Amino acid sequence: MQSEPKVDPKIIEEILKFSKNIIEAPKLVSAPDEISLEVTPHDIVQQMDKTRLLHYKPITEKQHKTPLLISYALINRFHILDIQPEKSWVRNLLQQGFDIYMLDWGTPTSMDKYLDFDDYVNGYLDTYVEYIKNESSTEKISLQGYCTGATIATTYASLHPESVKNYIATAPVIDGWRDTTVISNLAKHMDVDKMVEIIGNMPPEFMYYAFSVLKPFEQGIEKYVNFFKNIENKKFVDSFLRVEKWLGDTPPIPGELFKQWIKDIYQDNLLIQNKMHIEGQLVNLKNIDMPIFTQVAVGDHLVSPECSMPLHYAVGSEDKTLRMYPTGHVGMIASSLSQKKVLPELGQWLAERS
Amino acid sequence: MQSESDKDITDYYKHLSLFWTDIVHLMSSKPQALTSIGPMRAFAANSKKVSTELIEINEDLMEFNKHLTEYYKQLADTWVDAQKKVNLKAPEIPQDVEQMEAVKRIWIDIFDNDFTELFDSGKFGENYGKLVSKELELTKHWNNIVNVILQSVNLPSKEEIDEVYKEIHSLKKRVAKLELELKKKGMKRNAK
Repeated sequence: MQSEPKVDPKIIEEILKFSKNIIEAPKLVSAPDEISLEVTPHDIVQQMDKTRLLHYKPITEKQHKTPLLISYALINRFHILDIQPEKSWVRNLLQQGFDIYMLDWGTPTSMDKYLDFDDYVNGYLDTYVEYIKNESSTEKISLQGYCTGATIATTYASLHPESVKNYIATAPVIDGWRDTTVISNLAKHMDVDKMVEIIGNMPPEFMYYAFSVLKPFEQGIEKYVNFFKNIENKKFVDSFLRVEKWLGDTPPIPGELFKQWIKDIYQDNLLIQNKMHIEGQLVNLKNIDMPIFTQVAVGDHLVSPECSMPLHYAVGSEDKTLRMYPTGHVGMIASSLSQKKVLPELGQWLAERS
Repeated sequence: MQSESDKDITDYYKHLSLFWTDIVHLMSSKPQALTSIGPMRAFAANSKKVSTELIEINEDLMEFNKHLTEYYKQLADTWVDAQKKVNLKAPEIPQDVEQMEAVKRIWIDIFDNDFTELFDSGKFGENYGKLVSKELELTKHWNNIVNVILQSVNLPSKEEIDEVYKEIHSLKKRVAKLELELKKKGMKRNAK
């Protein structure tokens, strides 16, 4: 007779506990809709169309003279830079005495399908930079760009170097041909003209698809299993839900802007070759002559290091620093590593030049 | 690709449908002209467009299905290959919690690696690009059909709304430039 396979009672125990956690979950945690992602106190100091300029309230008595404007990415929203107090990029910089402004690109609608690079760079970004210069009585400000926000900030720094005192490029999307990510593969085969002509803006659903194919099993299964396993761990659950809510909130990208971004960065790779034009103006990276600090994450699966690093070598600046961190795209800006290593290094670099 | 005989059949039905919609339109348009501002008149005048779009939707649907099948085939093939690798690496049924964790880790790592390799490949990118492109063409046909209905009740089509959006965008740019020039002139005047 065949002996029956032995099952470890702990497996049964684990399964029962897991099932109990799923049933208990709604009683223990908030629904994502009930969580506010705007953590650090701020004022909305300017608005233009659907974009907003946030000014964070200072938390130190002494402040550095040069204000810092953060140009967040076009994908998802700026909340990841202030996702929770102990992991907040913004709060950390405020604690280091910096005067922080944040550009919220807002949520474009069908009406905004003709907004292009010129509107974003020479329109919104330039208007807000001028506002900050006036408010702080400075001739130049410090500028930080993150991900696709760094593509916009990079073109701005090239076209308006007279307004930028220091430039920080965090995981910038620069050299599309060197990018080794799934996003770049999809972008290279996209008929972007047809997409913009027929549906207008780049729909958020398409972005969700692009994200779902990045580490699909780790992200699609394992992280939710871990969530239910740790349902009684308040700190873990709060952090998980905040990041999930942020991930699920990505606005559409204006059609014309998206078209030029895909073509000029991923398909024709014009930016790094100094061949990209914005409203007839040539974007030459050699014009970026201010101090520049480039931050790259070695494990970035959204913007590969090979795509970001060429910026460091292409600019005209003599004062330039490149830092690589053993983390991922989001880990670089919202993790304990970013608090312990990335932000102190950035703060020190910026303080010496502010 | 469509075979020659499939194309002949499609063309035949396209012709048949257009013939009858044209004939019906010619026969019925005169009495309908009496109520020339009513919705049915406008709809009847453009109904041929609906027939043409429906026939073309069928053609595009065939191409779309071809790329969709290829898409799922690529996913299924990758799944089978990844599962074979997992079976080789973890042939035993896990007996305790630690083993179960280890097998899960192996499964996730192998599946993530294999699927990332697929999504990074040229063959996936190419087929996916074509699949999205066909889906967009289906959307375009649907837009065109809806435009016929919108026009029958005197509402603007997507193209007409796009024209307005474009005009607003261009006007906003001109206003911003003028405002900037005025500001510069004001600053010069103040400096004097």
